Amino acid sequence: MPTLTIDNKTVTVPEGANVLEAAKRLDIVIPHFCYHEALGSVGACRLCAMKFLEGPAKGIQMACMVEAKDGMVVSTQDEGAVDLRKHVIEWLMMNHPHDCPVCDEGGECQLQDMTVAGGHGIRRYGGLKRTYNNQFLGPFVYHEMNRCIQCYRCVRTYQDYCGGTDFGVLGCNQRIYFGRFRDGPLESVFSGNIVDACPTGVFTDKTFRFHSRYWDLEEASSVCPHCSLGCATIPGARYRELQRVRGGVNKETNGFFICDRGRFGYGYANHPDRPRIPRIGDREVSWDDSLEEARGRLADIAHRHGPAAIALLGSPRASLEANYRLLTLAHHLETDRIAFEAHPERDRTARVVAALSDKNSRSLEEIRNSDFLLLVGADPLNEAPMMALAVRQAVRRGAGAALIDPRPVGLPFHAVHLPLAAGRLSEFLQAVCAGTFENFSRQERTILEGIAERLRRAQRPILIGGGDLLGAAGVRDLLRTSEKLSKEDRPCGAALILGGPNSYGAALLSGETSDFNGILDGISEGRIRALVCLESDPFTDHPDLSRSRSALAKLDLLIALDCVPTTTAEKANIFLPVKAPAESAGVYVNNEGRMLAFASVFDPGTPIRVTGGGDHPPRVFEPGTPRNPPMSAWSVLGALQNRRESLNSLRREMEGEHARLAGLASLDPETDGRRVLPGGGRFEIPEIPAIPTEEKAFDLISIQSLFGSETLSAFSPVLDPVRPVPRFLMHSADAAEIGLAAGETLRVTTDRGGFELPVALSEVMARGCLFIAHLKGSPVDLPFPGVRFAARVDRRKES
Amino acid sequence: MNLWRGIKGSIQPFGITFRNIFRKPSTIQYPEQKRTPAPRFRARIILTRDPDGGERCVACYLCSAACPVDCISMQSAERPDGRRYATWFRINFSRCIFCGMCAEACPTLAIQMTPDYEFSKREPLTLVYEKEDLLVDHGGKDNEYNYYRHAGIGVVNPRGGNPDEAPPVDIRTNLP
Amino acid sequence: MIDLLTVVIILVKLILILGVILTLAAYLVFAERRILGRMQLRLGPNRVGPFGLLQPLADVIKLLTKEDFLPSQADKWLFLLAPGMASITAILAFAVVPFSPPLHLFGREIPMVVCDLNVGVLYFLALSSLAVYGVALGGWASNSKYSLLGGIRGLAQLISYELSMGLSLVPVVLMARSFSLTDIVLAQSPLPFAILNPVAFLIFMISIAAESKRIPFDIPEAENELVAGYHTEYSGMRFGLFFVGEYINVIILSSMTTVFFLGGWSGPLLPPLIWFFLKMLAVSFFFIWMRGTLPRLRYDQLMHFGWKFLIPLSLLNVIATGAVLLAIR
Ligand code: SF4
Ligand code: SF4
Ligand code: SF4
Ligand code: SF4
Ligand code: FES
Repeated sequence: MPTLTIDNKTVTVPEGANVLEAAKRLDIVIPHFCYHEALGSVGACRLCAMKFLEGPAKGIQMACMVEAKDGMVVSTQDEGAVDLRKHVIEWLMMNHPHDCPVCDEGGECQLQDMTVAGGHGIRRYGGLKRTYNNQFLGPFVYHEMNRCIQCYRCVRTYQDYCGGTDFGVLGCNQRIYFGRFRDGPLESVFSGNIVDACPTGVFTDKTFRFHSRYWDLEEASSVCPHCSLGCATIPGARYRELQRVRGGVNKETNGFFICDRGRFGYGYANHPDRPRIPRIGDREVSWDDSLEEARGRLADIAHRHGPAAIALLGSPRASLEANYRLLTLAHHLETDRIAFEAHPERDRTARVVAALSDKNSRSLEEIRNSDFLLLVGADPLNEAPMMALAVRQAVRRGAGAALIDPRPVGLPFHAVHLPLAAGRLSEFLQAVCAGTFENFSRQERTILEGIAERLRRAQRPILIGGGDLLGAAGVRDLLRTSEKLSKEDRPCGAALILGGPNSYGAALLSGETSDFNGILDGISEGRIRALVCLESDPFTDHPDLSRSRSALAKLDLLIALDCVPTTTAEKANIFLPVKAPAESAGVYVNNEGRMLAFASVFDPGTPIRVTGGGDHPPRVFEPGTPRNPPMSAWSVLGALQNRRESLNSLRREMEGEHARLAGLASLDPETDGRRVLPGGGRFEIPEIPAIPTEEKAFDLISIQSLFGSETLSAFSPVLDPVRPVPRFLMHSADAAEIGLAAGETLRVTTDRGGFELPVALSEVMARGCLFIAHLKGSPVDLPFPGVRFAARVDRRKES
Repeated sequence: MNLWRGIKGSIQPFGITFRNIFRKPSTIQYPEQKRTPAPRFRARIILTRDPDGGERCVACYLCSAACPVDCISMQSAERPDGRRYATWFRINFSRCIFCGMCAEACPTLAIQMTPDYEFSKREPLTLVYEKEDLLVDHGGKDNEYNYYRHAGIGVVNPRGGNPDEAPPVDIRTNLP
Repeated sequence: MIDLLTVVIILVKLILILGVILTLAAYLVFAERRILGRMQLRLGPNRVGPFGLLQPLADVIKLLTKEDFLPSQADKWLFLLAPGMASITAILAFAVVPFSPPLHLFGREIPMVVCDLNVGVLYFLALSSLAVYGVALGGWASNSKYSLLGGIRGLAQLISYELSMGLSLVPVVLMARSFSLTDIVLAQSPLPFAILNPVAFLIFMISIAAESKRIPFDIPEAENELVAGYHTEYSGMRFGLFFVGEYINVIILSSMTTVFFLGGWSGPLLPPLIWFFLKMLAVSFFFIWMRGTLPRLRYDQLMHFGWKFLIPLSLLNVIATGAVLLAIR
């Protein structure tokens, strides 16, 4: 722990920290570009000059490149250092175009700040400015190369941190160029991070191009609602429109960066068809009328058929507060028919995780610091992208990684991949526990024994599982395995990928209640007459769509609360519009069991872009937002129970009711969140009927795709250009057996209907499996991810 | 001494004010008599055009940021040729205090103040000027300046074609 | 006893006085604006009517048609009452002002005073004390900090200067040997008291300047500190009442100065009534002139001056006058 003196102030920093970081600790801000906390220092910009007076280094040095040592005496205000910084800025500005007014970075541009801070004002250099041609980099990132100052942050982000390979630095001396070899969309799904990383306006958010200035945006700390990791984000809104999302900082989860789904999947809040006004049937009504009607019709059904005729369905997409209010609504209505997930298998998986993962649950930060990672049935790039980056950081630091998964999984790091059939994942986990791999083929055994050996030797190993492929039983096995492999001084962690941002939280509230299939049965048998759906869409999110749809059609009353135009919202008898995640405040519990609070960014209402039709906004002035804007889901549900309360009092109530949620009321969106307390401990998985195996049948598995499966991003028009095309994925050997070539159309029949899609082939996947990359809202009704069933390949269709 | 000064100081001014009564007032009788305002007089705001007839305003939001009473609002957008422009631009003159900060902040000389101060209205809403009301077809105080001839983004001239720019570099060459 | 004619004469007197005073007050406002304008090398209001002469009318119309505004949480009744208190007490004081010697009309002697009380001086002092209520209640009832501060300042100022005003009148009463204003006027021939007792005159002038709450003593409404002091929250005609009350006050105080120190209606050549008005207008002009000339005092200066200088001085003056009168007798 070296102690050094900077500007006559003394500071002690951890071993290995550099002098720039030490100065930051003292709140001494020195202009710098190339140093970044997550990317480290490279000494490229030459801006962080300080004068070293005493100690091992002497003279003017780049502070980011000098390791802090005991006894150093450093001056930041030394005349020579200040003068050098001033000159460096002037040199950087020599070629910089005169285009701040038309640059989207303006206002949040480090170069602007540093130029002012460095004291450079009037251009003295009389020569010509160097120029570049720009590249087309796809639908997300706009390129304006003239603005570059060669800090290398983009490359370090894109290549080093995110593992992208199609973008880098080209050219030499005065012609250094940051781009792709050719024009074309950036391939990495973390491409948006170069927008955040670039300190100037070379890379800007194309979806936000010329929308607003930074200073006009309403911003607040939020949490990404698009997967179970709960990355920190900072959405920005203006004129009642969510206009962009940038990465927030949460050292325990995402660190500094986010994936492109989290960044560009924000369009749901401004969806043109977003229902913003309460509805009874097709009639738009006021809030008072709709709530009155909902209360009245629920009371009527309870009166006529008994309270048990009302069922409620929560959602892993809704905040913890809203789900809790749904639970108390059930108590209020005196019914116990409540589920918190329309997908029963995901429901069970989440409950297993919430009940069993206590001490061995690991955060992304712990994954980044792990030394061996075993991924089982997990496709992080599609299911929880930042998890892939966390593993990549561990691998960059020397950790090993292995992947057991039937799919041809693409990863931004090197890992041993063994494609094991989905049905054998549990078997594998049990074998790891037992330490013997007798049931596996010789070839498999060699690999598996190697993996087991690494696992034994590793000091901080973590097992990563994908909830969809493992299922509840598999997840339970994974958690048991991690416990089994733990020793007193060497715990083995586990991290599970769950269905939605609040799956864990919803599972916490579920307790022992039945799953949604039980409710569907009740509806089919006529025992249940009314269903209240909170931000869930049982019409499309159930694994057996024919079953759910035929049952739901029998309902007398369907009440839906949502912020996007889902099928359920369309079909609801009473529809109550609620605030989108960025509009309301709330808490999600992420896959690790970490409570993450998010603040409300802006007030909902029809955007000015819509009310003005793109042109001048209307010339009427009135206080407040026009008409009946959406309300927070928890307050709508509270109103149905005749409660008027503040978010704070609600959180205090929840804290009192649920021991595991301690600290909820004092949760601050600016912090890294806090883990729920351990508890639960037991969860009995109900017997799940085995999948009937048939001769010559394929294991049909629907899997998630990054830009296709998740509900909110599915309503984001910005992502349309990158949506996957629905297709089958098949082992080339299997295809050869039935004489099928890549691109041809395959038709399969299952007991849940037939599908007809083109087929893509792969070598690195398990035999006997057929995958469908799920696409929400696709014209073909695809089965929802997290379900496996047998499929018969009917015939090969000539195209 | 002080007392004497106090008394004198209290009495003397009476003489001065009394004498003033008989001097000629310096009032200008406004609607009948008018002064010619100085060229830099700050009154009604206009949006000017560049010498090529294009809208100068690039909707950079600097004027709205500079405006101390927040009376300028706009929405920027991109034209097919890459020009940034304001789809709508609104100044609420019933709020404007004619401080000139907006004109000072404008990097393109688009927003300028004119000496036309006689435009009070009875209806506040008629003082909300939209882009059509603000746009004029001349360059105001400077008819020469065209921002895009100096910004290196290739709108008026091809990239690297402005007077102070070198042509785009060839990144594939290895020559020094 | 009381016959119809007496009643008619009293009524006519009342109506005349009321009409004359209100018109006078309105035109005093106008005169002040014009004179102040000229003192500041401006023109003043000159647009409404010839030379702007209809300006007071326009102002009245404007005040009457403006919204009457009641601040939330104000004490409603007191708030509505206070402006009345301010102007009515001022008007009432005219009851004892003798404008000229009694007239002989219809074969009887008509006193040119509504009511020649034998304790007229006391009546005047009592009413000017009551005027404090308008300020204090208005400031209090508005439920506004500025108003409250203004009200408190007004209260302290009026009470302080009431003392010196009263004390400066003691020599007058001593010299006239009567509390009746008519007697006081009659006692001032050949020489007015202003010359006989200039110290009392000076003290009285300063005190009434303070009583009228006008520059340099407009501390209760000091614009640049308190917005408008005790009448900050008043609008429309209620503000108008405060406003007009101030000018009626100027008129009554000028009249009182005339009566107490300037010999009332007495004067050569011109009829007594004209003399009275001339003297009164001269004093009013002096008020305006003072407004155009002197800056506002600070609050502490005001209090110091009142308590530590003016009151001791007036006490001394009472003793001195008494001594001189004793000596003469
Ligand atoms: S493009 Fe941006 S991040 Fe990359 S080197 Fe240039 S200035 Fe730095
Ligand atoms: S990894 Fe998941 S939580 Fe993080 S930004 Fe991407 S979608 Fe959002
Ligand atoms: S003159 Fe001042 S107040 Fe008026 S629009 Fe410009 S900046 Fe705003
Ligand atoms: S500062 Fe000038 S260029 Fe920028 S938005 Fe205002 S008028 Fe347009
Ligand atoms: S931050 Fe140190 S050289 Fe760039």
